[in-house]
Amino acid sequence: MFEGVKRAGPLEWVVPVGFVPNMRVPGRFFLSDELARTLEEGAVRQLANVATMPGIVKHSLAMPDIHWGYGFPIGGVAAFDMAEGVISPGGVGFDINCGVRLVTSPLTENDIFRTKRELIEEIFRVVPTGVGARSPLNLSNRDLTEVMVSGAGWAVEHGYGMEPDVAYCEEQGAMPHAEPDAVSAKARQRGLPQAGTLGAGNHFLEIQVVREVLDPKAAAAFGLSEGQICFMIHCGSRGLGHQVCTDHLKILEGATKRYGISLPDRQLACAPVNSPEGRSYFGAMACAANYAWANRQIIMHMTRTVIERMYRIDYAEMKLVYDVAHNVAKYERHVVDGTTLEVCVHRKGATRAFGPGAPDIPQAYAAVGQPVIIPGSMGTSSYLLSGTETAMERTFGSTCHGAGRVMSRTAAKKEVRGRELRNQLAREGIYVRARHEAVLAEEAPEAYKPSSEVVRVVDEVGLSRLVARLEPLGVIKG
Amino acid sequence: MGFEELDHTADVLMRVQGATVDEVFEDAARAMFSLMYGTCEDGGIVRSLSMESEDLESLLHDFLSELLYISDAENIVFCSFDVDVSGTSLSAVLRGDAFDPDRHGGGTIVKGVSYSGLRIVKEDETYVLDILFDI
Repeated sequence: MFEGVKRAGPLEWVVPVGFVPNMRVPGRFFLSDELARTLEEGAVRQLANVATMPGIVKHSLAMPDIHWGYGFPIGGVAAFDMAEGVISPGGVGFDINCGVRLVTSPLTENDIFRTKRELIEEIFRVVPTGVGARSPLNLSNRDLTEVMVSGAGWAVEHGYGMEPDVAYCEEQGAMPHAEPDAVSAKARQRGLPQAGTLGAGNHFLEIQVVREVLDPKAAAAFGLSEGQICFMIHCGSRGLGHQVCTDHLKILEGATKRYGISLPDRQLACAPVNSPEGRSYFGAMACAANYAWANRQIIMHMTRTVIERMYRIDYAEMKLVYDVAHNVAKYERHVVDGTTLEVCVHRKGATRAFGPGAPDIPQAYAAVGQPVIIPGSMGTSSYLLSGTETAMERTFGSTCHGAGRVMSRTAAKKEVRGRELRNQLAREGIYVRARHEAVLAEEAPEAYKPSSEVVRVVDEVGLSRLVARLEPLGVIKG
Repeated sequence: MGFEELDHTADVLMRVQGATVDEVFEDAARAMFSLMYGTCEDGGIVRSLSMESEDLESLLHDFLSELLYISDAENIVFCSFDVDVSGTSLSAVLRGDAFDPDRHGGGTIVKGVSYSGLRIVKEDETYVLDILFDI
């Protein structure tokens, strides 16, 4: 481990105040010795940089998928006091409400065995995918305003889903405090043609099978059983979210100076949570987050209709387990050292993991905690976990978000060829569809930390509990 | 003088070198577009823009962010950049082609340009820039 970082437990590390100048609180992260081997010093420095920001509460945190990003580390979690603290786009990222949803079906592996390739090809045809993909929806500016306020609810009202879907999204698929006026004309222009598109990079749509149930009680509550076919959607707020981040980063850069805040990294530009600039960013970010929930809702609808048609099952039999955001800032209440505080929690590459009985989770899950969906890298297992009391006590109700890269794109392309990878995955029974082979090499499983180890750590620390392991059968890459 | 991709696990870190500041801006833009769309030929689309920022790095950030916006909003793949930087303002002429998924679909989406570590330094007679793109 790097000099100055102290071990606080078998899977826990502390970055003491003083690791970088002006830290207000210590840093803390969760990591096994195996995962520690690929930790970058830059990521720890970023974790420490976050600890210098005004009003940070208790500690600057990172989950076991911590890695080097910009501003906050990826896997970073920090809560800021609503009165004294700040809000920063660097703690959310460009892809606002990048997130994941998991949908069950009554089908089993045998039902799709012969038609898997056809199924993937058909979904690929229906769901706009990749760089430059355009929406089949013809949204007006007025529609877009409603999307930004009502999120997944807008999509359901317009025929893209069923009434119960919204209850099974974090924030019921729409954050409050959305301020469409804080979203620029440029962001709108980018958002209009992209609603209901998957995007590119690490975003994907997968057909999966529940291979292993690890917690039967929670799996039953979430509606999962072994051998069942599910699908998973991983994407975000597309160009609209990217533009919101870019626009407000610029505004907050000015605000940082105006409020006399000194920062070690420009990407951490921030303003007091309750300042006009802070509120404006939050309002615009909420709009982008709601757009992302609508986006995943529309893509889910497209996929449901394909499966309904191909396998003659009822649309309503494909149930949304849950939809989680892993790049977002939220106003939440947390108990800190015995006192309930209202804080602005930033999760950048981290998932909310509210435990049993927490407010804001569906009634059906009250006894087991919220579902936490951890997507694997291409061709590897994804996991379903449940939120815990421990997460509420230790990490502001947060856990990991995914596998986390260990290999750069350039290194991955040197090591792996897209065509070979496709063949290798095909031998493992996984059919992959992408517009271009190059995309595959960059996203090769070797480029990522093993998600099994990441989820093992959060399970052992107690930040969430393993419920089920899902294996991919078919993948659509952006 | 061009650009090269350095190793960075999560995002894309590019080193850009130029004999002049203008060249650094042009090659940073070229680096970003090669990442997004691979190769590109001039298809006769021309755009010009001018802007001003508080310092040179902000100017570069704003310039690249504006290119991302135009490209995404108007479906244009830019391939040639003629930039004239004067102090903390610039004027630029951009040439490109209409986006075609078959020819330009092999890249990845750049979500944004990071301020982290963004600095243009002069080493001997060369301007050097390391720039991080969120993908």
